[in-house]
Amino acid sequence: MNQQVVEELKKICKDLLEKGEVDAVVAYRRKRNEPREVLTVVKSPDDVDSITLSPLSVNNPARLLYEIAGNYNRLAVVAKGCDAMAIRQLIIEGKLDREKLYIIGIACPGVVDYKKFAKAFKPSEVESVELVNGKLAVKLAGDVKEVSFEDFIFENCTYCSHPTPIEYDVLLGEAREPYEGFDDVSEFEKMSDEERWRYWENEFSLCIRCHACRSVCPLCYCTECLVDPTNLAVSPMTTAEEKAAYPRVLGRWVSASDNLVYHLVRVLHHAGRCAGCGECERACPMGLPLRKLERKLEKVVTEVFGFKPGEEIPFLSKLDILPEEG
Amino acid sequence: MSEDPKIITFACNWCSYAGADLAGTSRLQYPPTIRIVRVMCSGMVNPAWILYAFRKGADGVVIAGCHPGDCHYMVGNYYAKKRYVLLKELLDFVGFEDERLKLLWASASEGKKFAEEMAKFTEEVRKLGKQEKLAKR
Repeated sequence: MNQQVVEELKKICKDLLEKGEVDAVVAYRRKRNEPREVLTVVKSPDDVDSITLSPLSVNNPARLLYEIAGNYNRLAVVAKGCDAMAIRQLIIEGKLDREKLYIIGIACPGVVDYKKFAKAFKPSEVESVELVNGKLAVKLAGDVKEVSFEDFIFENCTYCSHPTPIEYDVLLGEAREPYEGFDDVSEFEKMSDEERWRYWENEFSLCIRCHACRSVCPLCYCTECLVDPTNLAVSPMTTAEEKAAYPRVLGRWVSASDNLVYHLVRVLHHAGRCAGCGECERACPMGLPLRKLERKLEKVVTEVFGFKPGEEIPFLSKLDILPEEG
Repeated sequence: MSEDPKIITFACNWCSYAGADLAGTSRLQYPPTIRIVRVMCSGMVNPAWILYAFRKGADGVVIAGCHPGDCHYMVGNYYAKKRYVLLKELLDFVGFEDERLKLLWASASEGKKFAEEMAKFTEEVRKLGKQEKLAKR
């Protein structure tokens, strides 16, 4: 993710917009006065210069794509490995149309954990961040500081199994080595039952049930959430009896065990679907280790059921893959 | 344990509930700790309900359905098995005793088997003690 890749990317976007092949490009641009990047929808070839790509391009465009796809005829999107997984999953589930997408795949070397980054560098002084020869080159007020990428990489990226997008129309950049297996999960499972329970009880006592994890997840698109009794699909005509009799599995009480139920149910709905983008962990204001639960589910889906993410038939529909024992 | 464990059983209408019924008409004795909830198919059982049962203080939960291949709705019990495996692995991962969750295939003619399995499970749950991790206090 260096200047050369950015220039190539801008050229491709400008081409697409000028030739009218797409109505808009969903890409990253810098926030004003901050090195952080946000998603942007570029509609005119004149605005292509605002597009950027760097190790700070962390967000997953799949959610935005799902929300705006209806407003455009054809959209181009800049997608890293995990973003492409989410987009592919949405296509399989019928939420996006592959014909209407032009996917600019980015073979991803990993992204930066902004929380770690902001502790080491003063955001207002950072001019740009690039990955050069495996080192993070941070340009600060005219000076370039080179630091080890491993110190700042987002932990989720260290066990990414699909850094090269599985779906793309054009591919840019150089990917990191894909991670095989589930050693990170096995390490955690070495702890005893009691230790694990205490760990998760501690973590979930911090959860404030803000539902940010659900809001940013590209695959949590249900309008009515099973474990949220506050957002029922009601209208002014819904009677009081209907609202009172609506089945509820979880209340609004915020305690470690209720939070555990919320997270377990949410994660169970992602079996075989999770893209591994880590948006949930990034969005969580309390810093919960949400990726750990998803990784465990990935491990079960892969090892017990033999399912590979991105297959045509969704995991939860496949019936020919059942574990032998039990 | 001073009091009996409380076990919720989600029994499918066509096979396991009929099996439980047969155990009753045959006057087979099994512990009164089992509270049966009749569902149309074991595939109807939502993991959220199982967690809800634990929240309400159930010491054990059983999902009882038709044998694989015999489901009244063809494939419902396959979904049940899949969901059961996912939930069990996840519960074990967070340190909850996953032995409290059981999956049972019992057909309508297996009254004796139903009674025996329930008695066996009651003893297993009794040994585990009262469920405190998820129960709302």
